[in-house]
Amino acid sequence: MIEDDLRAAFARREELTPAVGPVRAAIDRAVVRRRRRRLRLRLAGTAMAVVAAALAGFTAIAPRPPETANLLATPSPTPAGALNVLLLGVDGPADRPYRLADSVLIVHVPADRSRLYLVSLPRDLVVSIPGHGRDKLNAAFLVGAGEPRPDLARGYTLTRQVVSDTTGVRIDAGAVLTYRATRELTDAVGGVSVCLPTTVRSHHTHRTYPAGCQRLDGAAAVDVLRQRFNMPDGALDRDRNAARYAAGLLHRIQEQEVLTNPLLLNRLITKVDSGVVTDTGELSLPALISATGKAAAAEPVAVGLPVRHGEAEELPYGFRLDPALAPGFLDALRADRLGEWAAAHPKQVTGLR
Amino acid sequence: MTYEEFADARLSALLRYAVMLTGDPHQAQDLVQETMVRVQLNWRRVARSDAPERYVRRMLTNQFIDWRRGSWARRVLLRGEPDEAVPAPSDHAQSAVDRDQVWSWLSRLPRRQRATLVLRYYEDLPDAEIAEILGCAVGTVRSCISRALATLRAEYVEVC
Repeated sequence: MIEDDLRAAFARREELTPAVGPVRAAIDRAVVRRRRRRLRLRLAGTAMAVVAAALAGFTAIAPRPPETANLLATPSPTPAGALNVLLLGVDGPADRPYRLADSVLIVHVPADRSRLYLVSLPRDLVVSIPGHGRDKLNAAFLVGAGEPRPDLARGYTLTRQVVSDTTGVRIDAGAVLTYRATRELTDAVGGVSVCLPTTVRSHHTHRTYPAGCQRLDGAAAVDVLRQRFNMPDGALDRDRNAARYAAGLLHRIQEQEVLTNPLLLNRLITKVDSGVVTDTGELSLPALISATGKAAAAEPVAVGLPVRHGEAEELPYGFRLDPALAPGFLDALRADRLGEWAAAHPKQVTGLR
Repeated sequence: MTYEEFADARLSALLRYAVMLTGDPHQAQDLVQETMVRVQLNWRRVARSDAPERYVRRMLTNQFIDWRRGSWARRVLLRGEPDEAVPAPSDHAQSAVDRDQVWSWLSRLPRRQRATLVLRYYEDLPDAEIAEILGCAVGTVRSCISRALATLRAEYVEVC
């Protein structure tokens, strides 16, 4: 009866079904478009994480368990010469199918270990990514890590290569920090004091962080490190706040004598071992800590890689190296003369306090 | 299971299902595309569910039922008229027209009822599974079907 008529009507319509191939291709194209749009809208969060630890601490948070025991043993020979440590802050919740490195920082440890230099590379810098072409620096992580299950270690490796190719600097060690790692690290040292030049209003949580120095806990630190809206230089200002956070973290680590106290260090390591990928290259962890630890005692100097906006007709959109300042800066970085360069270009130095 | 494997195995079945829901190949394609884009972007969550296929079918069905919240143009388009895309063989013209009446009445049913009929008489799913896809009780599915059939029967009487 009516049921049979229905079945028959449905069966007759089966031939209307569109071919699968074109639909599938259209889906894939739409997904790519949607992801790009998300990248623009989503507040990138950056996790900038940090820097952090960079140095000092950073190395500390990195190791896998077997290395922990090493910390108590006699340190291996300390490396001579300058070191460059690459820190990547990646965005996004753990279950997101892709990650971008929105905070890219080189921690330069000079041969004389006098202090640390925090060099921010803007995530919007246009670079050549092997096997991908010209794109923004933060995309190198995405390309390397892949989707839908980003491999942080591969993302790090490709970004390290791109940074190395772009700047001509050898990277000796590095780490990837997620939101979670940054939060745990911050809480593990009992909060970090950050000095903001202007009020920061969170686009994500609507919390307001007044200008001036304040102690931030893990959640607040991540929140501040993600903000780039309503700032005159957008993501560049965010990079500067990341440097300020790094300086505060270093200070905190020094204050608590974490680096010279194996028990504290060990506690920090075990507390913050998730979400962190690290690379100590040819150095042992204790050697790295010993090298950075000395330098971390002095107030760090933060500088941004000198860049200019791309012209309207230049594609892809993004920053280009500043032809006037960048060559001299990179020479100074490679030749371990950043101190002189910073003294000669005070305007390029980020105020940390 | 990866998204690719899922699409290989299930995409054509989903397209057929969407054709039955919308009655139009172009709208079916839009519906499936919109749903599958979301499926791909959120594949982890989909893959974690007990039955990814049912989960996706549920997404697609909800998308269809809620589609009127979309643009005005879409809403108008979806008021399907008797389909012209399948011309009936001329020698059976009259009976074909009669049979196609069912199809045009179907397009006038509320979407939820129509989805229930498709799941019941095209996909041949048991009431319990239909209830799960529509997110309602089994009793609701049954009353939905009987109300839809009653509407169609009333149309029959009018014509005959």
